[in-house]
Amino acid sequence: MTSEPATCEVTEGCITCGDVAVPLVVVQTRGFDAQCRDEKGRTELVATELVGDVQPGDRVLVHAGVAIERLSAAPAGG
Amino acid sequence: MRFVDEFRDPELAQVLSREITALCEPGRHYKVMEVCGGHTHTIYRYGVQDHLPDNIELVHGPGCPVCVIPMGRVDDGIAIAEHDGVILTCFGDMMRVPGGRGSFLDSNARGTDIRMVYSPLDALRIARANPDRQVVFYAIGFETTAPSTALTVLRAAADGIENFSVFCNHVTIIPAIKAILDSPDLRLDAFIGPGHVSTVIGCRPYEWIPRDFGMPLVCAGFEPLDLLQSVYMIMKQFAEGRAEVENQYARVVHYDGNPVALKVLADVFALRPFFEWRGLGSIAHSALQLAPKYAKYDAELRFELPGVRVADPKACQCGEVLKGVLKPWECKVFGTACTPETPIGTCMVSSEGACAAYYNYGQYAKQRLTLEVLQ
Repeated sequence: MTSEPATCEVTEGCITCGDVAVPLVVVQTRGFDAQCRDEKGRTELVATELVGDVQPGDRVLVHAGVAIERLSAAPAGG
Repeated sequence: MRFVDEFRDPELAQVLSREITALCEPGRHYKVMEVCGGHTHTIYRYGVQDHLPDNIELVHGPGCPVCVIPMGRVDDGIAIAEHDGVILTCFGDMMRVPGGRGSFLDSNARGTDIRMVYSPLDALRIARANPDRQVVFYAIGFETTAPSTALTVLRAAADGIENFSVFCNHVTIIPAIKAILDSPDLRLDAFIGPGHVSTVIGCRPYEWIPRDFGMPLVCAGFEPLDLLQSVYMIMKQFAEGRAEVENQYARVVHYDGNPVALKVLADVFALRPFFEWRGLGSIAHSALQLAPKYAKYDAELRFELPGVRVADPKACQCGEVLKGVLKPWECKVFGTACTPETPIGTCMVSSEGACAAYYNYGQYAKQRLTLEVLQ
């Protein structure tokens, strides 16, 4: 994350070691990368090759800087 | 999924808890293993076990990638970092994992340059910014993480980046489950399947578990209600005499996984004949190495390594904890000599490790209190 680096810590766990993936929204595409935003407004550059073409507004599941799955347009939890 | 209030609703949890209890067969004890370290973390952070009847026991599996790294591979990482001009990069939890020669943090105190990164792509960025240095990514993780390493290797190859390589410790989940099922130490009734690993590999690779062992497996999400609902689905299978693979996490996991990610994994990696897992020993075809066509990015070929097997400290019982044979608080050094600040075993290092999860969320205190009352 650009504003708050993701690290391993007790309360939220380690994003990379704990099989944790986070839902993010695509803000802007840049070739094979996309600038994505989480629900707290933090942004991250995400590699998108594994989920195909994405457009602003698309939701993706991101693990270790890489989108590993597309999510439905409905709010998280659907 | 995280930050989702409806998956943390206490009233819904109570409803599910009552329905689970109603499905229990009187007098029967159920042992359900959650394979994934992320699930272990949720279970202890939110007290999921407290919402289950006493005869449903959640057993923690080997699904924390940090916890299964043997000490010798930590020493190998340090040996790489000690080469002139090397920047070793790794995920955060790896920094404190004790090896035979201390941790990566200890090694940095002796002068090596080992840096924490959030993504292997960050390691590649460091390589681009430091063309006169050799940058190595210490890769760990199951099939959730392996695609990010694979993608990074593909990008390095496409851009002709020569000063980047990967020390590959990626492991695969299916052989670990097989090893647990073959272990004489433990009798299990069902599995809660890993959610995000399944995002990549899908649900089909688990179908042999109900077929050959008659055990239900439910792929689960990471919120407390995801886990309770998964236990409910398992209990419903028992009540109806079924044993199947089911997908509770269908909002994220497709039954066939992510075919693009699987194709990338198959291209970049090859199966190792054997790999040592901490606590589980050497397991055939359970880990990945770079495929021959990407050998130039393989740090094991680029650098001379000790490659020595290092025995775990005698006091440490991580092996039994990883197999679910011992609860963390039953380990001799839990909470005394071994704490998150001064871990002896890997299960106390990562916040997804069963011991750290117990320690951080106070379950150990509850368990000890229960024992005292019983005595």
